[in-house]
Amino acid sequence: METETLLLNMGPVHPSTHGVLRFKLRMDGEIIRDCQIVVGYLHRGTEKLGEMKTYLQFIPYTDRLDYIAAMPNNYAYVRAVEELAGIEVPQRAEYIRVLVMELNRIINHLVMMGSLLLDLGGSTMIMYGFRERENALQLYEMLCGARMTFNYVKPGGVREDLPEGFMPKLDEFIKDMEKRIVDYEELVNGNEIFLMRTKNIGVIGAEEAINYGMTGPTLRGSGVDYDIRKVESYSIYSDLDFKACMRREGDSYARYLVRVDEMRESLHILRQIVDTIPEGKTVNQRYGMAPNTGAPSSVMSYFPRIFTPAEGEVYSRIEAPKGELGFFVASDGTTKPYRVKIRSPSFCNLVALPKMVVGLKIPDLIAAFGTIDIVLGDVDR
Amino acid sequence: MDPVTIDTTKIRITKRKPETALEKLEDTGLINTLLAAKDREGFILLTTVDQAINWGRLSSLWPVTSGLACCAIEMMATSMAHHDIARFGMEVFRASPRQSDLMFVAGTVTKRMAPRVKQLYEMMAEPKWVISVGSCANTGGPYHESYCVLKGVDNIIPVDVYIPGCPPRPEAWLYGIIQLREKIKNEGYGAKWGLNK
Amino acid sequence: MNSAEELKYLLPNSVISVGVQTNKPLAVIRKEDLLTVAGKVKEMGFDSLSVITGVDRLDRIEVIYNLFSYKKKQNLALKVILDHKSPEVDSVTSIWKVADWLERETYDLVGVKFNGHPNLKRILLPEGWIGHPLMKDYDMSIEQFVTIGEDGEDIVSTDGSNLLRRR
Repeated sequence: METETLLLNMGPVHPSTHGVLRFKLRMDGEIIRDCQIVVGYLHRGTEKLGEMKTYLQFIPYTDRLDYIAAMPNNYAYVRAVEELAGIEVPQRAEYIRVLVMELNRIINHLVMMGSLLLDLGGSTMIMYGFRERENALQLYEMLCGARMTFNYVKPGGVREDLPEGFMPKLDEFIKDMEKRIVDYEELVNGNEIFLMRTKNIGVIGAEEAINYGMTGPTLRGSGVDYDIRKVESYSIYSDLDFKACMRREGDSYARYLVRVDEMRESLHILRQIVDTIPEGKTVNQRYGMAPNTGAPSSVMSYFPRIFTPAEGEVYSRIEAPKGELGFFVASDGTTKPYRVKIRSPSFCNLVALPKMVVGLKIPDLIAAFGTIDIVLGDVDR
Repeated sequence: MDPVTIDTTKIRITKRKPETALEKLEDTGLINTLLAAKDREGFILLTTVDQAINWGRLSSLWPVTSGLACCAIEMMATSMAHHDIARFGMEVFRASPRQSDLMFVAGTVTKRMAPRVKQLYEMMAEPKWVISVGSCANTGGPYHESYCVLKGVDNIIPVDVYIPGCPPRPEAWLYGIIQLREKIKNEGYGAKWGLNK
Repeated sequence: MNSAEELKYLLPNSVISVGVQTNKPLAVIRKEDLLTVAGKVKEMGFDSLSVITGVDRLDRIEVIYNLFSYKKKQNLALKVILDHKSPEVDSVTSIWKVADWLERETYDLVGVKFNGHPNLKRILLPEGWIGHPLMKDYDMSIEQFVTIGEDGEDIVSTDGSNLLRRR
């Protein structure tokens, strides 16, 4: 009996695709024979806007790339600009930057865990995840007034110093979170249905993962011990004590466990920062624009009003929660960049998905795809 | 000739008591109001029915999942336990547009996605409402000068309520939903002449 | 010696000059030898391609490859200079598979054609879009609109009357 393959379209509007992503699947019954990914439904032209705005005006656009964890995006762009122009940053500002970035890593992994389990059918984890996220967002609101798109890290330091009452509240958050991670592990890790749906699904080996350009927790789930914070250390990570979490199996369950371990490591880093942050002036709570120019403060070094760096090109990258986030900035001596190119982790992690998924069923596609953890603002820019 | 003065205190308009059924009906004034209302294409009887229908519609609006970009995360946060959207009857986000009556357009509408948003709107059944959330959906937002962004979703579909912000806080979402409920309360024939008090 | 100088030592004919990209070694190579250089560089241990960037410098187009080695923990940047009117270069998809999508994106936004690519189509913009946006002479005043055709694929046109509503 002759059979034909069926072309099935998991269109841009779908509850499980984490945004506007389209799959064109060739199905033989229930088995996927071929998977093509169509992206570009959220392409907003950020790179072209980078050439039309000045260096400082572009920072809010970097917030909207990976909108779940926005501080590392800010920091990656600002670090590229600082390397290009040779700007030094005070120590206290570096500590504050690492503090906000690690807090964002926790938020990102909570949202990932929540939405993975929502796609697989369990709606409890997302409720817990968003409850913790609200606590962390209240900390951010004390700091910079915004919940999601911060625009806080500026070249030369950070925009404002920590307000009064921030450190005790952060302490409370860390204590609370340590208990909750134990709760989440008890809820999810041993669950039979979860194990059946994620063990041995979407396996990719170490060599292939490197060749396909995967980075971040997705790569560390396949046994490659590579964390940019350890290898090409930036900011103050070389003074902090943490380890890069790694698993060997390469399936969805391993990638999930890597992220739970990373949340613990981030809490460990936050604790060290709370203990060792250098002294500076904590300000009274005030709102409004902090000066970007003028006399340097304890969290901002001098930054000129009209900023024209020397000609040159730079490519710098950091370990964002989703992988390796890099910015290529080319300048020609004027106030606006000549070219800004964004190397986003979600775009490059998606290249390997068709290979991981051929031969499985559609629910396995959802499980494998949820653990790669993409966000469409990053893929399409 | 002298003007005639009439002593109005002494005049009494006497009406005969209604005897026939038609006279009794005329006496109640109902026929006059019905004739007056006939010109205005509506019946005053329907005022209460209007109110009941509007109350039924606004108490359980079911949204369709159409989050596009960053504002979709605030949509998820608004629907979670801290700022609860289920108090408006919206805890169920239907995946199919045919089963829903409200569309939150949350996020940037790019030129490539615009015909799909329009198709989604056309697939919804009447009555339907649209809330445009965030500055990208209102007017194009920070991406106004880009080459591939639609400058506001009201270029393709009619919008009822605009919620500004980038992204709007959950409290702003709740205020926008309350404005939509006020708008729905004032729908129907009864409201046009201020009768729904 | 750093990795760019080592490359010049191994393949002296292909490398035009050696420099620095702020803090990474940079080697400018001839575009005809890109595949041999890429093979050699992979042998040297650079197994990961981070990004492919196309820059439109008004009289030429530059394509820059940033590479990283997991074993030796070193960086390397390769630059290729192309003609402005018809930029063409070989594709490195056979060596690093992530170049599949990175090259499609460079073709989409900058207009560089990669010979030997398995599937060189537009990725971020719909098929049929006129022009390559990141060129400096792209005309931003032409508004293009997208509608859906019979089979669900995009149709691009400059006339948006069947999409926009009358206000």
